[in-house]
Amino acid sequence: MRSSEFAVGRRLCANAEGAAAAAPPEAPKKERRVSPLEAGGTLKGAEAAGKDASAVAKNVVLGAADTSQKVLQLEDGRFVDYRWTDGRWDLSKFASAGGKMDWDAWNKVIDAEMARRKILEESPIPSTNEEPVFFDTAEIPWWAWVRRFHLPEAEKLNGRAAMVGYFLAYFVDQLTGFGLADQQNSFLGKLALHVVVFAVLIFRTSSTIPMYKNLLDEATFYDRQWAATWDGQARPSETEKP
Amino acid sequence: MNNCKPCGGAIPLCMVDEFDLPADIIDRKVTKMKMISPSNREVDVGKTLSETEYIGMCRREVLDDYLRTRAKKHGATVLNGLFMRMEQATADGPYTVHFNSYKDGGKVGKPETLEVDAVIGADGANSRVAKEIDAGEYDYAIAFQERIRIPEDKMDYYKDLAEMYVGDDVSPDFYGWVFPKYDHVAVGTGTVINKTGIKQYQQATRDRSKVKTEGGKIIRVEAHPIPEHPRPRRCKGRVALVGDAAGYVTKCSGEGIYFAAKSGRMAAEAIVEGSVKGTRMVGERNLRTYLDKFDRKYWATYKVLDILQKVFYRSNPAREAFVEMCESDYVQKMTFDSYLYKTVVPGNPLDDVRLLVQTVGSLLRGNALRQGANSLPEAASSGRRCLSAAAKAADDPSLGCPVEYIDLRGTSIDQPAVCKYTGNKYYSDDWQAH
Ligand SMILES: Cc1cc2nc3c(=O)[nH]c(=O)nc-3n(C[C@H](O)[C@H](O)[C@H](O)COP(=O)(O)OP(=O)(O)OC[C@H]3O[C@@H](n4cnc5c(N)ncnc54)[C@H](O)[C@@H]3O)c2cc1C
Repeated sequence: MRSSEFAVGRRLCANAEGAAAAAPPEAPKKERRVSPLEAGGTLKGAEAAGKDASAVAKNVVLGAADTSQKVLQLEDGRFVDYRWTDGRWDLSKFASAGGKMDWDAWNKVIDAEMARRKILEESPIPSTNEEPVFFDTAEIPWWAWVRRFHLPEAEKLNGRAAMVGYFLAYFVDQLTGFGLADQQNSFLGKLALHVVVFAVLIFRTSSTIPMYKNLLDEATFYDRQWAATWDGQARPSETEKP
Repeated sequence: MNNCKPCGGAIPLCMVDEFDLPADIIDRKVTKMKMISPSNREVDVGKTLSETEYIGMCRREVLDDYLRTRAKKHGATVLNGLFMRMEQATADGPYTVHFNSYKDGGKVGKPETLEVDAVIGADGANSRVAKEIDAGEYDYAIAFQERIRIPEDKMDYYKDLAEMYVGDDVSPDFYGWVFPKYDHVAVGTGTVINKTGIKQYQQATRDRSKVKTEGGKIIRVEAHPIPEHPRPRRCKGRVALVGDAAGYVTKCSGEGIYFAAKSGRMAAEAIVEGSVKGTRMVGERNLRTYLDKFDRKYWATYKVLDILQKVFYRSNPAREAFVEMCESDYVQKMTFDSYLYKTVVPGNPLDDVRLLVQTVGSLLRGNALRQGANSLPEAASSGRRCLSAAAKAADDPSLGCPVEYIDLRGTSIDQPAVCKYTGNKYYSDDWQAH
């Protein structure tokens, strides 16, 4: 099996970013050597602080007064997180040093939202008028998504799949004779065609034929259910044409 | 005839006009439609409605009775009875309809017969007329609904607002709803793919809306099948099916009242035309004209809603994306126009493109979050992230993680494979060429 074969791979060196950030070790001072803890890691200052463990863990270790900061919890059917206020992630709670919303910060927002959705999926909570949810994933800038999930790469790989899907949909349409394509001028028609493209984007695989067959079956199943009435029957509108 | 069909009772604006319904049929005018995602993100999709636009909420017992009475006034003979079966003595002869008459108001009907030229089966999802003409089966969803009388202050919130909940909890393939009725709300949900779970989905719908509907009294519990697609045969000889008997409920929105009324009218018109106002015998061909017209007119609408359901009710991330999309004024305007007026509205190309981009964006993001969540535990050991992501992708080739394999065959410490996303280097020391 391929995946297990890969899984035995060893990680050789730190990732590119880490490596770049690793400044050459400072020239050792002649005096007393500082302990490793004091010397710190390869990251310094604010950059290093950005790598701190979760707020909760940090507070506990540092003995900070406020250990009550709740993170990703459900309480009495409410979602509680000190970073979540007024139905949104409070971005200031994620910002890196200097209040900057950089890649690290957005990455944490993505993590948080990911976890929130997972929690609520596992234990749904009531929707209330007192605490409506407004957070929109579009608030996170596109480049953060791209970096986090390598979306455009995925796009490139599957752009072709989308094209295939689009034309398939188009032909199916022409063949079944109901003609969604006729409806291109309508909002619904356009939406339908667009949606087929997304469908392909979402359900794509590494181009396996059975997959496309299934997709095609799924896409045309409803058509066939509707068309059943006309099996072996002439449609008045077709036969009456002059 | 005195029964009342379990039904949400939402009707589009054009139905009021086309069928000349008096204002008092509409118990409530809904102008706010809240869509609520699995993570409780909510969007009011009624923002673009103008002051004169609304979704009408009616009680079927009232609407049905009104339509019946009106038909009577225009010369129809209304018989209260239970259709049992029918037969045709000769191939071209009239149909003899056997039914149990409840004319005298008794508990048990009195068997009677009636000779008719044509039959339009409008007897709903469990149609006996359909059975008589061997119309074939359709898949159906089961819809469950509880009518709940809730405290006045809570009812106030729902006075012009309806809610739609989406999520795997409330239904794997449909939505859960809270619709305002005359003086109470209807809380319900439906599913095709897991009908035995309907009670659970109903519980989940109640839970999701708990805070807003708490302290109510359930005044009626209803369950009813909803057809998923038309029957294979909707017409045979001079018998045609309309409405639920034929199977005209849309996917996605589960709308059937308007289409039932419309198909009934179209069938009647076909008969009037074909018989030249009753001076000639109609034939199958005339009834088929109705089917043909109906299919041509509404096929695209049905198909689009089917696609929408397939794409957006498929999974929670897709539902999140759906709700997010509905925030767009353009989407709202377009969907409402097509719902309220059942017309195809030409959009504007620029907005269409924007919509396309938005939708793709929302779907990609939603799926990315879900995919990411699947690998959350692995994320802790970030060094292995790339590998585990690749391994994950092998099981579920969907969005969200780098769909890339790192081929470690032939790698060594000196010649590692490099992950092109993260720059991590990998080699395998126990790989041997076979
Ligand atoms: C819970 C639920 C909620 C819904 N919500 C909505 C909504 O909000 N909006 C919407 O547009 N649609 C909704 N629908 C769909 C809608 O109810 C149907 O599509 C619509 O009622 C179809 O109308 P019909 O006249 O074809 O069938 P029905 O309304 O089912 O009417 C059939 C009639 O025939 C009678 N009948 C049956 N058998 C016989 C017989 N043998 N002899 C004599 N009479 C018979 C029945 O008593 C009944 O009166 C909902 C459906 C359900 C189940």
